[in-house]
Amino acid sequence: MNFSINRRNYYGYLFIAPFIIGFLIFGLYPVYNTIYLSFTDTTLMTREADFIGLRNFQRLFADDFFMKGVRNTWLIWILNFIPQIGIAMVVSVWLTSTRLKIKSVGVWRALFYLPNLLMPAAVAALFFALFSYYGPVNQLMVRIGVLEEAMHYLQEVTTTRGLVVFIQWWMWFGQTVIIVMAGMTSIPLTLYEAAMVDGASGAQMFRRITLPLLKPIMIFIFVTSLVGGMQMFDIPYLLTDGRGSPSNSIMTNNILMYMKFSSSKGHIGAASSVGVLVFIMTSICALGIFYLLREKD
Amino acid sequence: MRKSLLFLLSLLVVFSLTLAACATPAEEPAAEEPAVAEPVEEEAAAEEQAMEEPVAEEPAEEEPTGLQGTLNVWSFTNEIRTMAIAFEGLHPGVDVVYTMIPMTAGEYQTKVKAAAGTADTPDVVALEAAFVKEWVESDLLANLNDLLPLTEELKTFPAVVEVGTHDGITKGYSYQSTPGAFFYRRSIATECLGTDDPVEVQAMVADLDKFVETAAKIKECSNGDYYTVGTAGAMLNPFLANRSQPWIVDDTLVIDPMIEEYVKFAKLMRDEGYESQAQQWSEGWFAGMSDTLVDAEGNPKRIFAYFLPTWGLPYVLMPNSGETGGDWAMIAGPLPYQWGGTWLGAVEGTPNIDLAKEFIKFAALDEENLTNWATGAYTNEYLVAIDPETPEDQAQAPGDFVSSQVVVEKITSQFDGSELYEWLGGQNNYEAFGKAAPNVNGALLTGSDDAIQRALQDPLNSYLLGEISEAEMWQLWLDSVRNEFPDLLLPEPPVSE
Repeated sequence: MNFSINRRNYYGYLFIAPFIIGFLIFGLYPVYNTIYLSFTDTTLMTREADFIGLRNFQRLFADDFFMKGVRNTWLIWILNFIPQIGIAMVVSVWLTSTRLKIKSVGVWRALFYLPNLLMPAAVAALFFALFSYYGPVNQLMVRIGVLEEAMHYLQEVTTTRGLVVFIQWWMWFGQTVIIVMAGMTSIPLTLYEAAMVDGASGAQMFRRITLPLLKPIMIFIFVTSLVGGMQMFDIPYLLTDGRGSPSNSIMTNNILMYMKFSSSKGHIGAASSVGVLVFIMTSICALGIFYLLREKD
Repeated sequence: MRKSLLFLLSLLVVFSLTLAACATPAEEPAAEEPAVAEPVEEEAAAEEQAMEEPVAEEPAEEEPTGLQGTLNVWSFTNEIRTMAIAFEGLHPGVDVVYTMIPMTAGEYQTKVKAAAGTADTPDVVALEAAFVKEWVESDLLANLNDLLPLTEELKTFPAVVEVGTHDGITKGYSYQSTPGAFFYRRSIATECLGTDDPVEVQAMVADLDKFVETAAKIKECSNGDYYTVGTAGAMLNPFLANRSQPWIVDDTLVIDPMIEEYVKFAKLMRDEGYESQAQQWSEGWFAGMSDTLVDAEGNPKRIFAYFLPTWGLPYVLMPNSGETGGDWAMIAGPLPYQWGGTWLGAVEGTPNIDLAKEFIKFAALDEENLTNWATGAYTNEYLVAIDPETPEDQAQAPGDFVSSQVVVEKITSQFDGSELYEWLGGQNNYEAFGKAAPNVNGALLTGSDDAIQRALQDPLNSYLLGEISEAEMWQLWLDSVRNEFPDLLLPEPPVSE
């Protein structure tokens, strides 16, 4: 008896071993190493490094760059997340509605998801070409009379940020639609039928049935989008000069980290300190979301 | 049963941890040890070849030498791949693995830096002028001083060697010398300036004041439809080359008067409408080369001239010039300058150091290779014959300006009547560059140039656009330099509020 229990436990460990080992090597070790590096002045171009305590962190707060990166990241993420979740909700309600009975839901869903299949590099190159000074958008805008003269879209803070927000929304709302729809279709139809029998309106059903039962899905979308948003890099990096121009307006946390990493000496120590702060910030926010949206009963 | 599984499991853990440890820098010295032991034997062999090689006439027919092995070469263009294939042709036992990573936003620099000192490190790296110094000043490149005598034989232009040298140790050699020029459209010159003669046009743009006067003339004569240059941004290099001090002296950033001059000049060009506002390397900038530039209202616009160096002619201007061939001319322009260039270095600690040296010697310090390179002998057919997998567009067109004065003098006359000659309306580009090359100054380059200059572009653009004041521009630039070089001492901005 004793033997068989032991054996069962033992096989359990064996089965989770591949994941645990993988996680230790590719998950935990990099995190530990990043934290360690953030206390050193390691660079790629020199072979020796010293332990310098909190100097890297002090330097981050010595000027406005880091805080600017944080503000940019939050601004761009919030501006794209609100329309993303809002429009995804509306589209999902339409596509799953038993009253509207929209045909070929799968095709729609696939179409909304398509932008997400494009490489960010290709998307950035596309928008760079479209919105360049001699590009087609200027040609169109001036000829139909919307603009009086051509403008430098990618040299002005508002238009550049707007473009990043738009691209992020456009690329990711299809993904959100799919998840929200999956959540909605998993709600038992009987609840809606009962509500209809009781004479509930569409809005009432959405507020009293759909929303509460979608909460776990919403938490999932919220947290994954937040984590992704805090790590925003490819589009803002590729759209302009890779330094967050104009006037650092699209310099996100990760662009700042990459700038430090790719600076002429390759300051990986300083870059790690940015990574550590972003890690702390994201963790606090994610835990906060879980706390605020926890089951209260 | 249980014990054996436990054993397997712990074996797996040990194995995985060992793998992880291999990737950390701590293991480096051990991995490098064989490199120290190896060279002795092969060095003698390498020297023998050094004696043999220059005598050979036809590279394809040369007796295969005893060189063996695989050489990893990384670069940021496909250019050196041609050399790599030619090198394989010469040494059939050698396999050159060529990796190209673009450097548009600094990807190559980052990638190669991150790979240095790891197991993935290449043997030979190509280094562009903007960041070659960073490498030459570091301890990541091997000492190549023993190739120096060849530079005297070939009369390599002094600036080329100077850039590859730090503290008396030469670590990088280049096959190119890159003096700059001013390429203009003959038809516009005739229409607006009354002549297309290079000597007369040069007199009209001989200094910056005259340049501005000429720009005004061109604008007036075309009612604003002709721009003198595509973008003032492209003019940074002439100003950089005429500074009296490099960017960094004694750990302090130096804002040379020439830099202030450049900002003033760029603002003037923009405000007066002498430049097209197309960013360098953007579609509009290229469109100007082939007369296909159209503004937002649909009006055709033309660009009078481009500041480009030696490589700009065969790689940038000619391939993008469309139907405008023959309508171009080249002169020195208002300021003598140089721009770019590619150096080759061997990564310190590579076990392939001898092969790497041999390749660098072939690429940068071999008279025959440099001659073939400059005169267009490396056609696609030539390369395909060596390596059937050569891509269709891989070839070296004639005209790249090489680093050896001996070769330059020998081949200059070959360019009379060539395609390039016709394209320039009857000018020999080699002759013109040959006069400029010995005067190029290599002392102004430092390892931090790339980052400092890239940081200036964005604030400058905002200032040119009128979004920020000049004082804000300087401050933004200094802030961003401080962000990248925390230890650098910064001067007061030239203009402050």
